[in-house]
Amino acid sequence: MERLRYIIEDALTNIRRSGWVGVASIGTIAVSFLIVGIFLIITGNLGALVTEWKEQFQVTIFLEDGITTEQLTLLKKRIQSERAVKAVTYTSKAEALQQFKRELVGKESLLEGLGENPIPASFQLRIHEAYQTPEALRQFTASLTRLEGVEDVLYGQEWVDRISSAVRMLRLLGLSVGLALGMASLLIVSNTIRLAVYARSEEIEIMRLVGASRLHVRVPFLLEGMIQGLLGAGLALLLLFGAYRATLWHLQLTPGQVFGMGVGSFLEPRWAGAMILAGAAVGAFGSLISVGRFLRA
Amino acid sequence: MIQFFHVSKTYARDVEALVDINLHIQKGEFVFIVGPSGAGKTTLLRLIFRDELPSAGQILVNGRNVVKLPARAIPGLRRSIGVIFQDFMLLRDRSVADNLALVYRVLGIPSAIGKRKVMNVLKLVGLTHKAQMMPYKLSGGEQQRVAIARALMNDPLLLLADEPTGDLDADLAADVMRLLHDINLRGTTVVVATHDMNVMGRLGRRAVFLKGGRLLEDQP
Repeated sequence: MERLRYIIEDALTNIRRSGWVGVASIGTIAVSFLIVGIFLIITGNLGALVTEWKEQFQVTIFLEDGITTEQLTLLKKRIQSERAVKAVTYTSKAEALQQFKRELVGKESLLEGLGENPIPASFQLRIHEAYQTPEALRQFTASLTRLEGVEDVLYGQEWVDRISSAVRMLRLLGLSVGLALGMASLLIVSNTIRLAVYARSEEIEIMRLVGASRLHVRVPFLLEGMIQGLLGAGLALLLLFGAYRATLWHLQLTPGQVFGMGVGSFLEPRWAGAMILAGAAVGAFGSLISVGRFLRA
Repeated sequence: MIQFFHVSKTYARDVEALVDINLHIQKGEFVFIVGPSGAGKTTLLRLIFRDELPSAGQILVNGRNVVKLPARAIPGLRRSIGVIFQDFMLLRDRSVADNLALVYRVLGIPSAIGKRKVMNVLKLVGLTHKAQMMPYKLSGGEQQRVAIARALMNDPLLLLADEPTGDLDADLAADVMRLLHDINLRGTTVVVATHDMNVMGRLGRRAVFLKGGRLLEDQP
C-alpha cells in the first residue's frame, strides 16, 4: 500500500512538473473530445428524432364518398393482409370533421356555410419500419391506389429518409473526425510523456541503481498519461454541458422540449462514461508508446 | 562475495573492454581496482551490478550467477549493492533528505521507518545538519558523502565506488576514503575503482591492476 501511495505521489509530482506541456496535452485532449462530443449530441438527437418520426409515420388512405359498408369491410381486410401494415385505424367522415373543428378552435366561423361535410373518411396505416424505404412505399401505395373505393393515398416519407441518411453520414463523419483527433491526442500525450521521461532520466537511472522494479519506474508515467486523459475528457464534458445549457437557454427551451420527447437531450450517461474511459485509455496508451520506446531495460 | 570466471566483455566493432578476467573477492574485503582511464574498471563494476552483461564467462555475486539472472530478479540484486560515482549523481531539484528518501520510496518502505533510516545514514556520514539543504549548496566532498549515504540506505552487503574521489581535492578525498574504510570495518565489502594510486594511501589494502582490459597483477 505504501508503494502504491508513493507511485501515485510520483505521478502527481510528474504532472505538476510538466507545467505548460502538461496543460497543452490536457487541452488537446479536451478539444478533441469536445468536438467528438458535439457530434455525439447532434447525431444522438437527430437519431432520436428520426426514430420518433418513423414510429409516428403513417400512410393515409382517403376513401371515396360513395363507398358502401361492404366495400369498406372488404377494403379493410385487404389492407390488413398487407405485410407492411402494423395497424389500421378508421376515421369516418363525421369523426374527421370533428377533428378538424378541434384543430380550428376559435376559428369555427371559417366552417360556416360549408353545407355538406367536405372531408373524406380515411384509413390511417402504421407501417413496419422495414417497409419505410422509398422504393417499398412507392410500390405499396401504388397497389393501394388501384383498390376499389380508394380516392387517394398520402404519405410524406422522402424527407424522413433524407434526414435519416444525413444522420448516417454525420455519424460516419463524426467517427472519422473522432478517430483522427484521437490519434492526435495519442501523439500529444506520448510526446508529453517522452519529455517527462527525458526530464526524469537521471532520477530513473538512480531508481534503477537502488533496485526499483520495472513497474515502479513505469507506472507513474502510465498514471500521468491516464490522469491527463481523464482531465482532458472531463474538461470536454464540462464545456460540452455548459455549451448545451447555454444553447437551450438561448433558445428559451427546456430539455426534452426541442422536438418533443427524447430529443434535445444531453449525452446519455453511458456515452459520457464512455468518453471518460476513452480519455483514460488514450492517455494510458499514449504514455505506453513513450515508456516502451524511451525506457529501455 | 564476488567471483569472475573467464569474463570477457566486447563492445560493438570488436572493442575489447575486458579480456578473460578471473577475480575473487572475499566477503568483508576492501579492494582497489587500479588502472588508467579506459582500462575497463567501470565496465568491471557495471558487470557486478548487472548494468551490463559479459560477452563470455560467468560472474557470481553473493552466490547468485548474475549472468543468468532473470530480468525480474535484477532489482533484488541491486538492493544488496550500493554504488557511488565520480559525479555523485544527486538530484539537484530536491534536498539531501529527499535524495535519500527516493531509496525507501522505491522499496515501498513506510515513510516513518524510511525517515529514521535517512537520519541514521546521514549521521553515519556526518551530515545530519545538512539534511534540508539542496545538494548544489554543499561542497564536493559533502556531496559525495550524501551519495555514500544513499548507497547505504539499503544496508548493502557490497559497496562499489567508481572513482569516488576523482572530482575532489586531496583533503576531501582523504575524508571520503576514510569514510569508505569505516564502512568496510562495519562488515561491508568495498570495491573502489581508481586511476590514482595516491588514494590507496598507506593502508596496504589489496589492489587489482587493470590495463587494456586485462588483469595485470593482484597485489595483496
